Amino acid sequence: MMTFIPPRVRKPAIYALAGALFAAAWLVRGGNLWWVSIFALVGTTVGVVRMYMLGGEDTDEGARAGSRSDERQQLISLRSRALACNLTAIASFIGLTAAIAVNAIWWWPFLVTLLITGYGYLFGLGNYGVAEEGTPDNADPERQTRSPISS
Amino acid sequence: MEERRGGLLASDADREQAVEVLKTAFAQDRLAMTEFEAHVGRALTERTYGELAAVTAGFPAPTSTVRHPSTPSLMAEQRTLRKISQAELANALGMSRQTLILIENGRYLPSLPLAFTIARFFGLTVEEMFSLG
Repeated sequence: MMTFIPPRVRKPAIYALAGALFAAAWLVRGGNLWWVSIFALVGTTVGVVRMYMLGGEDTDEGARAGSRSDERQQLISLRSRALACNLTAIASFIGLTAAIAVNAIWWWPFLVTLLITGYGYLFGLGNYGVAEEGTPDNADPERQTRSPISS
Repeated sequence: MEERRGGLLASDADREQAVEVLKTAFAQDRLAMTEFEAHVGRALTERTYGELAAVTAGFPAPTSTVRHPSTPSLMAEQRTLRKISQAELANALGMSRQTLILIENGRYLPSLPLAFTIARFFGLTVEEMFSLG
């Protein structure tokens, strides 16, 4: 689906969608705080315009915002995400431990976050080919006979 | 800026460097003997950087010394030799200008596929381009 959207518009579009959902949540919630959705929409609009303009700049940040990162910029982004994930896991663990220690009822969000990061890591290991080692030489009889060392 | 440099007078060292480029091209069978002699004759008599660059255009620069990967690559030399701007080269190679600058300064080693792309663009091997061998 994303390939149909021009690269420069992709990140702003995701940002706009997230902001609209957040604003809608405040509106659906109703009550006295419905006006927060207006602020959320205004903030989202400003952010989307800013991100779109940033996407046109000839900088590392511009390349990231404009979805045209090269390998170095993607590597930087990947490392930053890995760091964020590590910090989230550590913070969740500390939060969960503290919640258990004080017998608080808000322990479960920490557990959910910790499980998501943990299983996400395991899923990534499987998905990105950690187990794909290939066939070793000694398991391939044809290669064994062709090998000059074995003759 | 490149145009301004092209108008500057070249030194004897620049002419010798151009001759080295031609010698390498001759050794690699990129030039016939008569062409080599004609090019060397021109290189020794040209006056400006622009004229000198025209004589060596299309030939890779010699890479006889082994450099540590953290030292600047030959990319800047090759690019200057061909009068290509950083933005033009980055666009042609499908990378950002910022990454190209870091590679030229030896502060970022490209991945193997990108290294091959860069080397092929300049008609060199990866070992020559990044002084690995």
